Amino acid sequence: MPRRDDLKTIMVLGSGPIKIGQAAEFDFSGSQAVQALREDGYEVILVNSNPATIQNDPEMADIIYIEPLIPDTIRRIMEIEQPCALLAGMGGQTALNIASELAHDGSLERLGVELIGSDLDAIDKAEDRELFNQVCESIGLPISEAIACNSMDQVLAAADEIGSWPILIRPAFTLGGLGGGTAWDLGQLVEIATLGLRNSRISQVLIEESILGWQELEYEVMRDGADNATIVCTMENIDPMGVHTGESTVVAPLQSFSDADHQILRDQALRLIRALNIKGGCNVQFAFNQFTGETRVIEVNPRVSRSSALASKATGYPIARLAAKIAVGYTLDELPNPITGDGTTAAFEPTLDYCVVKIPRWPFDKFRTADRTLGTSMKSTGEVMAIGRNFEEAFLKAWASLEQGCAHPRPLTRADESEGDGMAERALSELPDSTLVEWCRVATDRRMGALIEAFRRSWSVEKVHEITRITRWFLYRFENIAQTERAITNTHATPAELTREQLKAWKSLGFSDAHIADALAGFPAAGPKSLQPGFNEEAVMKRRHSLGLHPRYRMVDSCAAEFAAKTPYYYSTYEIDDDVGVDLLPNLEERTKERLVTVGSGPIRIGQGIEFDYGCVHAVKAIRAAGKDAVLINNNPETVSTDFDTSDRLYFEPLTLEYVSEVLLREQAQGILLQFGGQTAINLALPLNERLPLLKSKGLDLSMMGTSCDAIDEASDRERFEAFAKRIGLKMPRGATGTSSDDVRAAVEQIGFPVLIRPSYVLGGRGMEILANQQQVDAYLSEAYLAPDKPLLVDEYLGHATEIDVDAAADGEDVLVGAIMEHLEEAGIHSGDSTCFIPAQNIPESMLNRIEEQTKAIGIGLKIKGCYNIQFAIQGDKLYTLEVNPRSSRTVPFVAKATGLPMARIAANITIGIPLSQQTIPQRTSGQVCVKAPVFPFIKLRGLDPAPGPEMKSTGEVYGSDVSADVAYLKARIATEVPVASEGGAYLTVRNDDKENLVPIAQNLVDLGFTVYATPGTCDVLRSHNIPATVAYRIADKNHPDALDLMREGKVSFIVNVPTVSGGAVRDGNMMRRLAVELNIPFVTTLRGASMEVAAMKVALAGPLEPRRLTVHY
Amino acid sequence: MGVRFRPKLMSEVSFSSGSFCPGSNRRGVSNPPSFFDAADALANGEEIPLGAQGSGVLLTADGGRYTGTLFGAKTHGEGELVFTTGMMGYQESLTDPSFAGQVLTFTYPLIGNYGIHKGASESAAVWPRGVVVRHAMSQPDHRFSIGTVDELLRSHGVPGIENIDTRSITKRVRELGTVLCVFGPVEDEAMLNARLKVLVSPDLEDLVDEVSISDPVVLNPGALDDLDRPLPRLGALDCGIKYNILRNLCEHFEVVWCPPETQFSMLSEQYEIDALFCSNGPGDPAHPGKATAARDTLAAAVRAGMPVMGICLGHQLMGLASGLQTYKMRYGHRGANQPVVDLVTGTVAITSQNHGFAVADPEAGMLAAHPSGASSPLGENLHGAEVRVRYINANDRTVEGLDIVDHPSFTVQFHPEACPGPHDAAPLFGRFRSIVDEHLGGGF
Repeated sequence: MPRRDDLKTIMVLGSGPIKIGQAAEFDFSGSQAVQALREDGYEVILVNSNPATIQNDPEMADIIYIEPLIPDTIRRIMEIEQPCALLAGMGGQTALNIASELAHDGSLERLGVELIGSDLDAIDKAEDRELFNQVCESIGLPISEAIACNSMDQVLAAADEIGSWPILIRPAFTLGGLGGGTAWDLGQLVEIATLGLRNSRISQVLIEESILGWQELEYEVMRDGADNATIVCTMENIDPMGVHTGESTVVAPLQSFSDADHQILRDQALRLIRALNIKGGCNVQFAFNQFTGETRVIEVNPRVSRSSALASKATGYPIARLAAKIAVGYTLDELPNPITGDGTTAAFEPTLDYCVVKIPRWPFDKFRTADRTLGTSMKSTGEVMAIGRNFEEAFLKAWASLEQGCAHPRPLTRADESEGDGMAERALSELPDSTLVEWCRVATDRRMGALIEAFRRSWSVEKVHEITRITRWFLYRFENIAQTERAITNTHATPAELTREQLKAWKSLGFSDAHIADALAGFPAAGPKSLQPGFNEEAVMKRRHSLGLHPRYRMVDSCAAEFAAKTPYYYSTYEIDDDVGVDLLPNLEERTKERLVTVGSGPIRIGQGIEFDYGCVHAVKAIRAAGKDAVLINNNPETVSTDFDTSDRLYFEPLTLEYVSEVLLREQAQGILLQFGGQTAINLALPLNERLPLLKSKGLDLSMMGTSCDAIDEASDRERFEAFAKRIGLKMPRGATGTSSDDVRAAVEQIGFPVLIRPSYVLGGRGMEILANQQQVDAYLSEAYLAPDKPLLVDEYLGHATEIDVDAAADGEDVLVGAIMEHLEEAGIHSGDSTCFIPAQNIPESMLNRIEEQTKAIGIGLKIKGCYNIQFAIQGDKLYTLEVNPRSSRTVPFVAKATGLPMARIAANITIGIPLSQQTIPQRTSGQVCVKAPVFPFIKLRGLDPAPGPEMKSTGEVYGSDVSADVAYLKARIATEVPVASEGGAYLTVRNDDKENLVPIAQNLVDLGFTVYATPGTCDVLRSHNIPATVAYRIADKNHPDALDLMREGKVSFIVNVPTVSGGAVRDGNMMRRLAVELNIPFVTTLRGASMEVAAMKVALAGPLEPRRLTVHY
Repeated sequence: MGVRFRPKLMSEVSFSSGSFCPGSNRRGVSNPPSFFDAADALANGEEIPLGAQGSGVLLTADGGRYTGTLFGAKTHGEGELVFTTGMMGYQESLTDPSFAGQVLTFTYPLIGNYGIHKGASESAAVWPRGVVVRHAMSQPDHRFSIGTVDELLRSHGVPGIENIDTRSITKRVRELGTVLCVFGPVEDEAMLNARLKVLVSPDLEDLVDEVSISDPVVLNPGALDDLDRPLPRLGALDCGIKYNILRNLCEHFEVVWCPPETQFSMLSEQYEIDALFCSNGPGDPAHPGKATAARDTLAAAVRAGMPVMGICLGHQLMGLASGLQTYKMRYGHRGANQPVVDLVTGTVAITSQNHGFAVADPEAGMLAAHPSGASSPLGENLHGAEVRVRYINANDRTVEGLDIVDHPSFTVQFHPEACPGPHDAAPLFGRFRSIVDEHLGGGF
């Protein structure tokens, strides 16, 4: 069937902010879908609340709304735009839920909007557990015994009926399994089910038999309207059942399954997608008992998912693109396979000639207090993928891609238990066996490393299998890694003595040069960086190069080389000696275009999100537009940057010096762009610069494009930057550096409390705290990791200062100031966690001019070429420069959408040699206020204090814009998915010196009809201003009612809680905020935030919001 | 070492009393014969000869040279170098008689992950004359595993070579077409080179003779349906038949498993068959040996108006019997992901395939042909009925199946019995049974 001509305009929904369980994969799928629809001539209306995505860039869709993804807003946009159809399967659970709601309430029918892709019936059958189970039973598919419950009574009855523990609790209609878990007793059952019922959109949880320890696997299925169905990819989780698939380390294709096993599951998956009548992509999860061969269908996602993004990248088969085509009527066999081009169709099952490993990226390196246990709800923020010709290679490459601690596995020591005082000493004693057993048994982020450690200690595969229930096939592979490490150590050779055969064998198992050097040295406690010249990574690399051993590059072509593929999508491997005829680039002489490499930003993590992928995609586009060859290196399977047709050539590789260097050599690249891939890329600048002479000897004539290494160093090195600041007359907070506890204490004394303390060169303010007294200093130092090469920075903390973010681009001559953003929160809250406004709302013109002047002075003075970001603080009439980041920033996409200035593109153009004067720069827009607001993962991460502070905690952001700041703020707030209170009680607790300033806020709340609750002291102040207030005791008073009582009783719908001092967890506030998170009660932790929130409430009560096209002001 | 590979003949395979017993589980069948499964040697704990080890070299007729590590039997490998893209099902492929005469390369790099399973073979032997893999996995893990790929090869005298860049081989074969190759120990390289120079295409051998049985046998004598009525009787011409075809046929018919040269008159008169089936098999369908004998039997059956089904080689033989040409394909279709369009229903099935020859399309001709241009001579229609192309490959549009117009007969190039591969086409066996029932007058 050809495309449908009766549809003219199609609305596509995005998935909103990046959050745990819903990350960049929907930017990728949405972007692919929009592109697929537009090339077929449809007009596309895209709605997403996330300003950081590529998909809602003005050029991506015909009409864009950056508005809250809630049914009311979508309904209103439909009224305005009158689309013919709605494609909801590209925006994750968020979009699917909206579509489901609008279909059920009759809105779609009333507005004449057809739901394309999977229809409502299919969605309902897949999403409603009871309906789903009925479908499975009707076609004879085994499901685990499960009972849908809508109340706690039903839950208890269901547990009785199942009769054996543990019991699995799974909420219906949530994302990332939020609120699910495994209960081993009645207490846990009640606790988990309570949360589950609350989090489920239809207040339903499923009580199931436990199939813990079974293997878990996934099938990605495509089906078209003519009932053609194919399996795109099979995936096997290393972690057995009990760990959410998004939290599992996953391998594609299946490894430990026979063809007979696979065909049974394949048949079941196809039967299911047909019975559900799904049109497009869908994902079926199975449990498999490897001892009996029994299977259970776990669930189906009737839409593209994180797994389908992984499947797309693992196979090269563009699932989202084809799902969009199917939605408008095409059948698979009439669509060409975009990978292999003419001669093959999309009615095809990809076959791989490599092994793919995905490892999730967890935020536990930042959130050291959070519970690391992995279970049925997600905690990871992102993931990495790596490809190899064997499992070991793919796994070790994935490990290197994680950028979490060391780039290869190392023997575990007591230093791995926790950071802080005595780490260096603890690194000398190995992790106790008893702890190792626990680390193997309980799934956490440490588990894979623990498995390898177990085999280092010569534990048997059987023993580890007993402990973990992990399939032996994987354990043999981990054992092989440990044995290979030992073999390397036992050579007792120096790198220069290694033979070609040895190196080749180890490299083909994925051992990096650093890993080999480390193993040769017997894994010294001081770490691989402590190795001396001649023994270190570089020595191994030199030996390798002298033996002519370089990786070969293989193509990801979906067909195991059966057909000549067009996709320039590669991975490295070490196999043959000569370049005989495999996946070569066009001959160098034919590559007349200049080759420029852009380094991506790796996995989505807190502090380095999708914004950097946005920058990379724009850099690549700019390079291509300039007629040059754009080469991209990245390892994140969720992103647009790793889509097969984003760049001229894509390398799916770890972003380490070794892998990047080899790609540079292979490409004979002329330039490299490091300023778009966040801290990951910029951190490569100095090491790569040092290695350039070596690479030059291999014939590489590379220039680092854009800002020079020296300038990067000058901006990042504290002492150099202070000198620079002094030279050009910038004011900075007083600061000092310490490499030992004594140093740090002296620095604190010299500066005086409160101080802002943080490790140098960090991402997202990891380990950054405000310390107000000696006690807190001691506590901080006991946990901090201090070493001569890892100093701590101590700064004067500027109280009550307004923080400003500036994004700018400079070319050496001119500076373009993109936007001056004012933060709602005071300086001290991490800029990534702040709510910020374009244009600045409360800054006098004269100050704005000074900011602009200083921005220009910094850009010219540091000889920035490309983009940079500056954080300023304004205290009274003093302007402080806090820091300069000589790279693309988190706010670049926000600035682009708010002002119409494509900052990333402009900066990329500068980087590749097109100065500002030669670029067409759009006029910056005005007349509207744009707000960016953070979205936090508190609900997912227990044990984490839900208060913004100097360490970044948010995972994503949303956007709101309107002519009035209050309305813009309200839109952004609604988009955060935390409710905006409209009635009920407000609980207020603030610092003593804020109590007077609280008065107008309290007055407003009373005017809006709120009951005001406050601690006795605050009540006194409020009452003295004739504001009625009810006393609620402080929790520490052990008197009732306290705040927690009021919250549990549902009397509180809004909380203002300004922590006395941020930093070390203040127990009262922490407990209250924690409970607020669990009960989904909005709270603010600053007075300015409170004022803004109250203003928003007023707007919300005034009437419905009117959505606006993004480009209305361009 | 240094021993040349000698093709095995079906007649030499220890054959009866094994774990393959397709007639069991059928109503009305007592004491059905059983046959050897290639994995039985491992299952029975028979002693396995020591294997090859050390560096090996693989040479291709067009000048390619690959170094690797030897495994499997201590003998040279030689034959036509082909590749299969299936990611699983290596045991089924290794024991598929259609690979006789060939050196089989697996594109999936990890072969042997789940071991060798009892009763999961497709014949009594391992048929390729050499096996090329990236990694021969030596630590399999599966509840059914009874041994490794290495052990299976050793027990059947088939050599293997690993640590080979199989993608490079695949690309070479894709670009140049299938080529002849030899492999063995590095120190034998001169000898291997000399052998390669005189090696001739296995297509010239009567491969069908090598892989087929020599005496007819009824697999499920007295088989009854659920209502205790006798099943229709089917003659299954064995050109190298896969066990799972026999299993499938036994579900629907009382099956007479016959040698390829069995005359139609004998089948109809002595065995009183109601329908005829012709199996898959190795080599050139136009080979004048037993393939041609089977072709003539097929033609006679169509002439007689008897229902006929053919798979793979059986389909190609039907093409020849219908006056169509067959030709050698550039590199054939071998794998578990070949999309086939049914031109009648317009739907696509993902199919299992393993063939290097094809039937020329009456209109489009010889698509995806081998550079050698090898094809059968123009022939006559031996049965007189019109044929129509029913299935085509969605990728290269080659012929994937024929309907004999106004006759209860059809043939397919792909493998509805799967093993390895998807079951999308499995209903074809049931379809054939319905055709037979209809032909016999609505059942009996």
